[in-house]
Amino acid sequence: MTEQKKKDAVFTSQLQDNTETLDGILEFSTDLLRREFVIHADSNRHGICYLTDGLVSNTDIQLILKTLLLYGQAINGNWQQSLDSFEQIKQQLMVNCSIRTVTKLDDGINGILSGETLVLLDGYAEGLLITTKAWESRSITEPATDTVVRGPRDGFTENIRTNTSLVRKRIKDPQFRLEAMVVGNKTRTDINIAYMKGTVKDGLVEEVRQRLQKIDIDGVLESGYIEELIEDAPLSVFSTIASTERPDKVASALLEGRVAIFVDNTPFVLLLPTFFWQFFQASDDYYSRYWVGSFFRIVRYIAFLISLMLPSLYVMLVSFHQEMIPSMLAFTIASGREVVPFPVLVEAIMMELAFELMREAGLRMPKPVGQAVSIVGSLIIGQAAVQAGLVSPFMVIVVAVTGIASFAIPNYSASIAIRLLRFPLLIASGMLGLLGFAAVFFMVVIHALSIRSFGESYLAPAAPFRPSDQKDIVLRFPWWSIKRPPSFSKEQRRQGKNTMPKPSGGQSGGPERG
Amino acid sequence: MINRTMLLAVSLLMLIMSSGCLGKQEINDLAIVTAVGIDNGENNHVKLSVQIVRPADARGQTGAPSGGTGEPIYSIQATGRTIFEAARNLARFSSRRVYWAHNFVIVLGEGYARKGIADMIDFFTRNHELRMTTWVVVTPEEAGQVIATITGMEVVPGEAIDKLFRYNQIVAEAPGTNMMRLQESFLAEGTEPVLAKVQLRPRGISNKNPDQFGSLDQVVLSGAAVFEGDKMKGWLSPSEAKGLLPFIEEVDSEIMVINCPDDSNNHATLEIKSLEQRVKTRFVNNQVKVQVAQTANANLVEMGCEQPFTEIKDQMTLALKQKLENQVLKTASAAQKKYKSDIMKIGQVFHNTYPLEWKQIHSEWNRYFEKAEITVSADAKISSPVLKIQRFVKGDGLSLKSK
Repeated sequence: MTEQKKKDAVFTSQLQDNTETLDGILEFSTDLLRREFVIHADSNRHGICYLTDGLVSNTDIQLILKTLLLYGQAINGNWQQSLDSFEQIKQQLMVNCSIRTVTKLDDGINGILSGETLVLLDGYAEGLLITTKAWESRSITEPATDTVVRGPRDGFTENIRTNTSLVRKRIKDPQFRLEAMVVGNKTRTDINIAYMKGTVKDGLVEEVRQRLQKIDIDGVLESGYIEELIEDAPLSVFSTIASTERPDKVASALLEGRVAIFVDNTPFVLLLPTFFWQFFQASDDYYSRYWVGSFFRIVRYIAFLISLMLPSLYVMLVSFHQEMIPSMLAFTIASGREVVPFPVLVEAIMMELAFELMREAGLRMPKPVGQAVSIVGSLIIGQAAVQAGLVSPFMVIVVAVTGIASFAIPNYSASIAIRLLRFPLLIASGMLGLLGFAAVFFMVVIHALSIRSFGESYLAPAAPFRPSDQKDIVLRFPWWSIKRPPSFSKEQRRQGKNTMPKPSGGQSGGPERG
Repeated sequence: MINRTMLLAVSLLMLIMSSGCLGKQEINDLAIVTAVGIDNGENNHVKLSVQIVRPADARGQTGAPSGGTGEPIYSIQATGRTIFEAARNLARFSSRRVYWAHNFVIVLGEGYARKGIADMIDFFTRNHELRMTTWVVVTPEEAGQVIATITGMEVVPGEAIDKLFRYNQIVAEAPGTNMMRLQESFLAEGTEPVLAKVQLRPRGISNKNPDQFGSLDQVVLSGAAVFEGDKMKGWLSPSEAKGLLPFIEEVDSEIMVINCPDDSNNHATLEIKSLEQRVKTRFVNNQVKVQVAQTANANLVEMGCEQPFTEIKDQMTLALKQKLENQVLKTASAAQKKYKSDIMKIGQVFHNTYPLEWKQIHSEWNRYFEKAEITVSADAKISSPVLKIQRFVKGDGLSLKSK
């Protein structure tokens, strides 16, 4: 049989033929169960149930069999007359809530493998797919990334339906839409596109749908696959699609007119379009008071600058532009470097690598070993390397501050992108001083300016500058002053006028005394 | 397209690699100069002395132990026909590249200053490594000796001289003259350069032998050196320099000691908190007339007089006014009679007021300046006797109680 023919094959009315074809395709697999039964003793009507053990709920299966065996037996008179199609069986006999009839063999097989139960009866050229999906999954826990001090503690799980329900719970609006898709020729992974109709920009959802349909890959095991297959700048180090584990973040993105892509088997949901500045915004910013939110946001921007530029600035100043260092500091740095045998650039690269090594080792090792790694690492890098005269104490401080700053960036993928960019910047400024630093820095800036994310400029609303969107970029303005969602959203209204709270007028004194 | 990008990337990479770290110099491969001394050498040569920081000893142990002699500075001297030649000759024995960008002070020997400093101004402003904020001073001693002296509380003596100037306004007896101001007054018409004067004085007391008072030389700021063109003419005493200061810079604070009206053996001390000065020039009958008006606000800081302050306030104010006026006249007479050099920037004021006349007389300005008639009128106010109007006397507290 050719591939196309196989796909188009349909059920026949002979149960024998159907089971033979199915068995031929599925062959033997230990988790594949076949349950044969006789539904109506009078007419000796045979039937069979196909299901995948582990993906189904046993009580549901028992319910199906009970219905078919007990109630089917009880049908009086001529079977064929009373129930002449599966449609009628579905309507008059079955008690399960989600049932559909299929005529194509291929659909039946897909159903079996994704946790549905296929019921075939002799004499019917159709199959009955009953949803019996139930499998073990992780319960809802606090997300490991994107942690907050104040804010909801629930995080997405590996179950796509749980994930969408967490968002649905937050947005009880009929305009909230979920569109289903299946991606991956072999994994047949469920994907849901979520958006708010009327808020999302025209054409955005179609664009997302088209890009998803273009994907032709054997498997999708995580949303990272999807991200790489649909992003606008596939060669860039910057990620133009954000991912999050937090349902509240997804809900807020949907309200701003963004689109979310849920992928089954992963707690990471994709958000698009994405702007660069979004990576410095934590959910806390919106839940804490705006003074606090704004302050922490500024701290994070500083962390961004430090983690990108501090080592290169230090190398540049110490090996090229000593006149730019204040005299007293210059003497101190010179004194610290007195016995260091390496050029500053080599020293910096060495220390940066040691730091990355430590971070990676601490991350990959089992938790108790990871702690040992960090203790040994900090002793070696912090103390012994300086004592041995391999590096100067200033370099240790620079690398440590840079490392801490890179951890202060809430989004992990943005933090990694910045960490990667640090190295070309470091090497250029160690080789050509300010000239090299400026050249590479401008190349990075021009690149960031040139890329887009689903039709939006990546650096917007800073470049191009959008005055109306400035209330939620560097500072987080108070909620009562943000009157409308960002300008890429179709929705114009976020809240009414005069929402700044104040005491009600009239009484000028204190609380009334009775 | 891909090929072109690759080509571009590869060629950029090669370009960066082939530069071979152009211009790279590690900070610990530099001999960081913190003070420079220039003297006359033999055979019309220039003797250049530099004070170089030894970072490991100047900063203590910041990294791995690096050893050392314990001396924070390394002072060396070289000669040459020009300053730059002498600087290059330093490289014959300096193990590190001499680096000028952190220089604090340039000390000129008196002999060198009298011979002419035009070369030095040219070299130090032309060289891109040197800062225009470097202090420039003249010393009657050997400049090399001044820069090799450990002075002040700072570890690096150059820094100590730098701080001496930064907190100089408390004494206000020497102008803070940096390279920029020297160049400006050298190039400008209608003013002549003035540089601060430093001397070595045995002011320090050795901790080991406290009985030998003044066994350690210290660099002392005292007075100023007057120039005409690029040649030094002579010295201004500290009190003459004091009168000069309001003409060339902002005076933040200075102190005045005045005699008590009744008894000239007792003194009261006033701290001048603000001193405003306006200079006006007039041109009458081919003669320049200069009016200097000063307004001073002073606090009483030390009361040595017997009478209560309220009674002698007017007399004290008058004494302060006279003192201020005399101070200016003293400076003016030194500038006009002794050195015949317009260090008070009178020429610039005249230029601004009489641009046309200036064009005619600017070539012989010094002749006009000599003959200029300078009048001073000071206005002073003494305030804040800090609640106590009388001097402290034994038993004072008791008599107050019985009242």
